[in-house]
This record gives sequence, structure tokens and C-alpha cells, in this order.
Amino acid sequence: MSALTLAAPAPPSSASPPRQLRWLLRLHRPALYAWTGLVVVLGALLLWLGGPLTDASEAAWKQYNACGMAACTYDQDAILLYKDVARYTGSAVLVLPFLVAAWAGASLTGRELETGTAQLAWTQGVSPTRWLAAKLTLPAALVTAGTSLLALLHHLAWSAGQGRVDNTEPWYSVETLYAGGPVLVALALAGLASGALLGLLLRRSLAALIGSALVTGVLWIGSFLVLPHLWPAVTRVSSLRDGPSGSGITVAEGLLTADGDRLAIPRYCGSSIDPACGTLFDRLGAVSFYRDYHPRSHSWPLLLVATGILLAVAVLLTVVAFRVLRHRTADRKGAAV
Amino acid sequence: MTDTAIAAAALGKRFGRRGGWALRECTFRLPAGRVCAVVGPNGAGKSTLLALAAGLLAPSEGTVTVLGTTPGEARARVGFVGQDKPLYPQLTVAETLRMGADLNPGHWDAATGERIVAAGELNPKSRIRTLSGGQRTRVALALALAKRPELLLLDEPMADLDPLARHELMGVLMARAAEHGTTIVMSSHVVAELEDSCDHLLLVGGGRVRLSGEIDDLLAAHARVSAPAETDLTPHTVVESRTTGRQLTALIRPAGPLPGDWRTGGRLSLEELVLAHLRSPEAPALAPADTDKPEENAA
Repeated sequence: MSALTLAAPAPPSSASPPRQLRWLLRLHRPALYAWTGLVVVLGALLLWLGGPLTDASEAAWKQYNACGMAACTYDQDAILLYKDVARYTGSAVLVLPFLVAAWAGASLTGRELETGTAQLAWTQGVSPTRWLAAKLTLPAALVTAGTSLLALLHHLAWSAGQGRVDNTEPWYSVETLYAGGPVLVALALAGLASGALLGLLLRRSLAALIGSALVTGVLWIGSFLVLPHLWPAVTRVSSLRDGPSGSGITVAEGLLTADGDRLAIPRYCGSSIDPACGTLFDRLGAVSFYRDYHPRSHSWPLLLVATGILLAVAVLLTVVAFRVLRHRTADRKGAAV
Repeated sequence: MTDTAIAAAALGKRFGRRGGWALRECTFRLPAGRVCAVVGPNGAGKSTLLALAAGLLAPSEGTVTVLGTTPGEARARVGFVGQDKPLYPQLTVAETLRMGADLNPGHWDAATGERIVAAGELNPKSRIRTLSGGQRTRVALALALAKRPELLLLDEPMADLDPLARHELMGVLMARAAEHGTTIVMSSHVVAELEDSCDHLLLVGGGRVRLSGEIDDLLAAHARVSAPAETDLTPHTVVESRTTGRQLTALIRPAGPLPGDWRTGGRLSLEELVLAHLRSPEAPALAPADTDKPEENAA
């Protein structure tokens, strides 16, 4: 993270990184174990989903599709198990940024300032700037590694089911876009930074926990709302009879007149198959439907722009956290020399 | 090494932009190699002063110089024990000392830390959260002393120690000061606790420095006198005066020889001096250390 360059140059007698690291790992050992356990369990579930569960579900779908209209038996349990595991692992992966944010707010900085143990560290040869740098770097590395791995596994598990399992989520579903892409990593890092900042500002672990979870929620919803507008959409024009078409993330749709004006679709009129609608379209002067949407090829550009914005927010929050800390402690004079 | 441990110039600290001043216009100088008492009532600004010197807070105005440099630069050479003795509750005593060693490479005296902990018969494997207040104080002092500081800042260090532990740890501190020339600055609102061991006094009241100097000099500069009522005490500076019937009793700073008919009341105790100043907030401040050595910030 670029904000880490703010750290004061190390005085000759200050603690060397490996020894600081050992102390940090000891302090947050329970969190480290919990995070590792969570990543391992979710990773294993996603591998199970992408491998054996996908195979079983594919076989069941083949049985089902072979039946045609006749009554027959197929392995319904395999299909349902696949669906459940896919849904629950997707939700669990999406919750991770909130867990990171809550932990960062409550435990990383909030509790230390609440109980005064931050002061203990600051009077034991670690300057506040270096303390915060250490406190952010190691969790940021572990969070990046864990969420990247899970996003990759989620994406692989989803890809494995494409064209084989009929009830996989579409590419534009929330789970596929967010849990299986780089946005997850950026959101978790923004959550970490917001937790660290709120812990410093509020100096109370519970308040920082709630605050950072809320900030992460706002970022999550915000990125969800903004995402369709982060890349130019494609417009597809279709006949009045076919109705609006184009599968993906829809940005806008409506009727087009001969002059190229865009009109809203009258209620209950999705096609001119209905004669009443046909008459209505004629009266409005509509000649075709249009739809502005993102086809599947836009998924990476959209995700990368959203990731970039969230990473910028994370860096901004980190810079503010360092500024708050340096303003509050005597470090600003020490570091400014 | 400079001969000044802490020098403050017009130092002030306000909490919040509209909050009240915890400390205001504090100018004083604490010489190095001394044991200095920071005395004042609860809420006088003692803890704020020590936190400013330790670099835990940034001053709102003025400057404070510690060991000839900024508090941030002096961090590695300063030991600090806060009033609440914060320690990580999830660590054991041994792990806490190991953390000190990790964070202070090059100047960590493991033997000192272990000796202080061992004297309290603490099990190194006990978790900090299971310790009593006094035991935590012992661990906090062990951390601060094992760091081999040139300046040791202690905020109400003895408050929750039993008399025996207090006596023993005070002995450890005094031995440290004598052997290594460590400057010790400790705050307390119990004056009697400090009278025997300290040789320098900083009296803080209402966020301001009221008295600052060598205890012997301060005592010598004051006198308790009795005189008939309606005696004019000028040109002497009056700290406190009280009239009972035909008798006037006053604590003054003599500006010259006292008239023969005034009776002086024997040797003044430090507690009397401090209490008189705290009872009379309007009495002018006295800081002989500043006048006999007009040295500005050594940095």
C-alpha cells in the first residue's frame, strides 16, 4: 500500500521488522487462527463444489434431461446439494469483508486505544506511525492472500458448472460478480482500513466494530449501485415484436422512435404481439425497442474499475488514519525532521 | 546527554477543539539525574503533562523538550508507566517481558525485568488478566525499567501497591537513579509518599505550574510566620494568611530580613508548603530553577 511510505524512517534502535512481527502475531493469534480456519474450510467447500458436487449434479441433470416428458427417476439430491452448497459458500465469501472490518475496528486499533495498550507499545520503542504501519501491513497481506484465494476458488467452482449444471448462477449475479472477483479483495481491504481508522477516531472497540461494518456495508451497496455505470454500455435494438433483448447487466431500456428519441415502455406492453400494444406503439411513433446493457465481455472491465475505486478508498482511509495518529501524538514533530 | 531532562515552554494541552485546557502556559525545567515529584490534586494536569513528555499526546501550544530533543525522538530513551498500567491481558508475564525485549532491541536488560517480577513472586506463566492491580504495577515497572531508560516517567506508580511492595519498588527505583543516573519523574497526589525520596518538586494546580525547583530551595524560600493582627506583610510575598483573634499566621516568601517581633514557626514541611499553595490559587507561582539557569531549549 502506498500509504505505508508515510512511516517514519526507522531510528537505529527501533525494533526490527521480524521481531515486531512476532509480537504482532502473538497479540492477534486467535484472529490469525480463526482467519486461517475460515479460509481453509471455505476453500475446501469450494473445491468440493467445483469437483465432486459439479460432477454429480451434471450427471443428475443429464438423467433429468434424458427423461423428456416421461416420468423417470433422477438424482434430485445431487442437484439440491449443489445448489445449497453454492448458495451458502457464496454468501459466506461475501460476508468476509464485513468480518475483516469488524475485527479491524474492534480488535486491531479500537481495543488498544480503549484499554491504553497502544500507549504501552508507543512507550516501548515503537513509534505510533510504525505501530500502525505494522498493524496494517500484516493483516492486509493475510486478508489479500485469503480473499484472493477464495475469490479464485469461487470463480473456478462457478466456471466448472458452466454448460454442465443447468442451475448455476448467471455471470451477472451478485455472488458470481462479487464473491468470484477482485472486488472481494478490494472490499476486504477497504473494510480493514475503515476499521483501523474508526478504531483510532472513536477509541472504543464496540463503536468501531459497528461503525466499520456499516462503512463496509455502504461501500458494498455503493459499488453495487455504481457498477453498471463504470464502463460504457452496449445498446441493442430489437423489433417491436421481439421485445427488448440482450442478456447481461441492464442499464436502461425503452422504445425508440424513428427520430431516435427514447421513450419509456408503457405498462404491460413488452411486445407488439398483443394487438393493443401494437396500436399503442404506432400511436407513440415507436419503431423498435432498445436496451443498454453490459454483455459478458464487460464483466472484467467493470470489476477492475470497481476494484480500483475501492482500493483508492482503502488507501485514502489509510492515509487519513496515519494523519489522525500523527496529529494526535507527538510523532508529527519527530517524523517531520 | 544534556543536564535538562524535561524543559517546557508555554506548554498547553486542550482536549477537543472547544474543550477545556488540561494544561496551560506551563514553563519549567527539570534537571537530569534527579528524582522529581509532580504533585497536584486530582485533575490538575499531572497525567497530561507526563503523557506530553512521553510523546503520547501532541501539545496544543508551546513546546516540550525531552532529553534535548522532541518527545518523539526521545521515545527509545524514555520509560513510561501510565496511571492505569495498561498491559495486554492475554499475554503471560513472561510473554510480556519477551515483548519488551522484542520492541527494545539493543537496550533491553532482561535480568532487571526478571528480577523485579521474581521479587513479587509472580509466576511467569500467569496471564496478565489474572493479576491483581499491584502485581500489574510490578510488571509494568519491570517493563519500563528493563528498557534501561535515561528518563523514567511514572504516573501515580505506587497507588495500588501494598506498603511492603511500595517500599521495595521505591528502593529499586532509587537504586536505579543512584547507579545509572536515571532521571525519575513521578506524579502523585499523596505528598507524604514522595517527600523522602524526591529532591525536586513540580507542583501543578489548575493546569498551571505553581512551584518548581529543588525541594530544599523551595522550603528555604518560604517561612511560616506569626505576627500581631493588622501587621503589614509587604514587601514579602504572601502565599496564605489567616487571622485568628489578635494573631496573624502567614506563609510568606521573605523578600528580606524579617522583623524581630515576628515569630517564625520552625521547619516547614513539604506537605504544608504544597497545601498552602493549593489552598490559595491566587498566590504567585515560584520557579527558582528557571531564574538561576536561563537556558532555553537545549535542542
